[in-house]
Amino acid sequence: MATVMAGNGAAAWGFRLSRVQCYPYYPITPSTSCSQQISRWVYDGAMGAVTINAESEHSAASQIIAAGKNVRAGTATSSKGLLYMIEVLENAAGGAIPCGLFIGNRATGAPINIWADHSDAYAMRDSGLIQIFAADGQESLDSIIQGYRIAEDLRVRMPFAVNLRGFTGTHAYEGVEIPSQEEVDRYLPPFVPLYSLFAPEKPVTYGAMLSAYPYRRHKRNQMAAIGNAAEIALKAGKDFAEKFGRSYGHFEWIGDRKAELVVALLGESAAAGEVATRHLQGKEGIPGVALLKIRLFSPFPAREIAQALNRAGTKAVIVFDEGLQHGGVLPPLAQRITAAVHLHLGGKGPKIASVIGGLGGSEVRQEHFQLMFNLAANIAEGKPYRPEPYWLDIDEDPIFVEQENQVSPKLWKKWGEIWKKQPRQEKYCAPIPPDTEEIRIYSRAGQGAITSAVGFTGAGIENGYRLVTVPAFGSERRGAIITTDTLINFHKERRIRSFMRAWDVVILYDDTILYSPEHRVLDGLKEGGALLVNTSHMSVKKIRGLLDAGEGRVRIFTAPAAAVSEGLGLKHINMPMLGALHKVYDKVPFDKALGYYERNVPRPREASLEAIRRGHAETTDQEIQRTRKERRLLVSQDFLDWRPEDHSQESWPSALEEVQIG
Amino acid sequence: MKEEQRTLVSPNRHKEFVVTGELVEIRDRAHAGETEKKGQPEDKTGKRLSPPEILTIEEVARQPVDGIDTAKALSAMADIGPEARLFVYRPEGQAVRYEVFEDPRVCPEVHRGAVIENLKEKPRDVSGWRTHDFFIDLKGCLGDECGRCAIVCPENAIHLRGKGKGSFHEIDPLACKGCFICWVECVRTAADCILVDGKTFDPGMRAKHFGE
Repeated sequence: MATVMAGNGAAAWGFRLSRVQCYPYYPITPSTSCSQQISRWVYDGAMGAVTINAESEHSAASQIIAAGKNVRAGTATSSKGLLYMIEVLENAAGGAIPCGLFIGNRATGAPINIWADHSDAYAMRDSGLIQIFAADGQESLDSIIQGYRIAEDLRVRMPFAVNLRGFTGTHAYEGVEIPSQEEVDRYLPPFVPLYSLFAPEKPVTYGAMLSAYPYRRHKRNQMAAIGNAAEIALKAGKDFAEKFGRSYGHFEWIGDRKAELVVALLGESAAAGEVATRHLQGKEGIPGVALLKIRLFSPFPAREIAQALNRAGTKAVIVFDEGLQHGGVLPPLAQRITAAVHLHLGGKGPKIASVIGGLGGSEVRQEHFQLMFNLAANIAEGKPYRPEPYWLDIDEDPIFVEQENQVSPKLWKKWGEIWKKQPRQEKYCAPIPPDTEEIRIYSRAGQGAITSAVGFTGAGIENGYRLVTVPAFGSERRGAIITTDTLINFHKERRIRSFMRAWDVVILYDDTILYSPEHRVLDGLKEGGALLVNTSHMSVKKIRGLLDAGEGRVRIFTAPAAAVSEGLGLKHINMPMLGALHKVYDKVPFDKALGYYERNVPRPREASLEAIRRGHAETTDQEIQRTRKERRLLVSQDFLDWRPEDHSQESWPSALEEVQIG
Repeated sequence: MKEEQRTLVSPNRHKEFVVTGELVEIRDRAHAGETEKKGQPEDKTGKRLSPPEILTIEEVARQPVDGIDTAKALSAMADIGPEARLFVYRPEGQAVRYEVFEDPRVCPEVHRGAVIENLKEKPRDVSGWRTHDFFIDLKGCLGDECGRCAIVCPENAIHLRGKGKGSFHEIDPLACKGCFICWVECVRTAADCILVDGKTFDPGMRAKHFGE
């Protein structure tokens, strides 16, 4: 039975089920809620561990190393926090101390940016850690459990890091299967320290200074040890599949077995790539396509990847990197794949081009993968291509250029010959028809939109659908307009967690959003889709007039959520809006969902449940006469007469008076 | 008010970890709940949970390991070659877990993870490093009443000989690197106690070291 939780929550379960005994941490966006959840469990006594509130990431890393000598230790971090840890983490790798890190991948400054890319993981690349890239919450939970098994193996004894893309991975709420503690205990043996803690009769020194002769020999051994991790990861993945039914390897090959065109990438963005690959598979005039989703980044399974490409008869590989190697020839993943192909296949290998995208929280969408497959097809046909990275979504420097005047003359002088020979092919770039149903909520931060969307997701998952909710983060300011998106996937066997951005339902938690010049709420709404507005005084007709949309374009519903919540003494309007959503969108049946809500609504439970029911009942697409209750601020004469020179305690005007009219 | 105590879940069968507020106390499982016994400290060396052993093929061949199929382990190790190691975990004398593996860290000088087992380190002759010879005159030394030089010596080159009134300190001439620390730190300011090149007092040297 899947439980709805965010990627960070799943990672916390990974640490809990691995029976982590020491968890020092220093919180940083976007991995904070993982540490928060663990420290809550430790406080409640649900998890037998010691958490330490470290004074910095540097200390947290030092503490996991100190603890990792004798107990199972772990921590979570991101971005600059990880960069601050690197100085210490090299000691864990060199000192053969197995410990675990969960990393919510985030950009590194400057400019400061809290959103996702792989810059931090790439910065850690040469610190000697085993690096695993997970694509969703479930994979990060499973990878942490497997990570301890790999890291503690006697042939390895190395720290490991599980990476998950920030926000789209760490804050995406979806169904996660939590294995039972007994099952995990059978899979993961207890930690065995190699030296006793405090043994006066056999004292040892960790991190001693070594001169060149023993140092170089030790470093060679360290490389051999991390090299062993590849083979052990494969075995750990196979055992995991036997026990839990979810299989993991070095990489996942999604698409055709014989694939001429391949896009290789790491981690979560594969969700969008998967949709594009499945769409292009078997289309007329398109050769075999596949997505190479690499899971084990360090140690890099070079031989296996080269062999897989060789076996599939691949002609062109596009390597998609969400990070840079400043001053390097190619970004890190592209460089590793190029080296692998060159060393293991020599001249027979496929041609490799590099694309950089998804930086600093940039969306990685299906159409980007369509462009990449198009580029791969051109390269496979023998067209010239750039010997340096292409960029995604840069208007001044696109992948395909139709006319010369589209780019600057300087750029045209440099790449014009290549652009002229690289056609944009319609069969690759035609829009993908939507296969899922999607709901978007516009709300103001603090209104509880995420809580209600997560509730809806839980109810949907319990009823056997696959739902994902991804909230937008960033405008961390109460009252700012934010979006929360939910995807409903009716294919039981197929995993889809990438949004088409074609909304079936758009919900406004506040009617003033209709006036926002920045938010055109009908953008992206499907023809004939539904718009649900929380309003106490606007009529359907008025909303239709404001949006200038006909009956065929949009069905409009209104819900008096504020009045319902006020009547029940609730602070938030999210519960009535949850009920209203079920009225507008009935694919997740309300009566079945109520069973889930009865067990899971936030406190006060009775009032919240009643609010959901009333919200459902009172939502309508009809014109109804509401008693007009208008509030206006009246300014008293005292206030207008007041001058700064009169300012004193006694003469302070009682300025604002609230008067009801009507 | 006494703070609430709770015990951590731990696979360790000998020790338990008791958390009181922010403090973690480690105590024997057998003594759980009892207050600590006063009096003679117990010799716990034998009782401590012993770490696992990692044995080479020669060591296993020389001394069969109790509780495991040594012949099978040996043949598995022979297949791997000289890098084969046998991991045996005997927390209470009985093998609860064992495993044959190929050690990626084969270098004999450097232990796994650059860990140095301190008692296995052999003392080195550093007498060539020093430019002056140091000697403690037992007439001036306060013996076990003081012991400051033995504490401050960075090389553990100074040892106490004897007991009580007749005790005195002695410098190991092979281990002394001539750093002057004992001479500076001596509670008797090295007057008729530590001889440098046979001299008890040298105004030039004092000026150099104390800035007098």
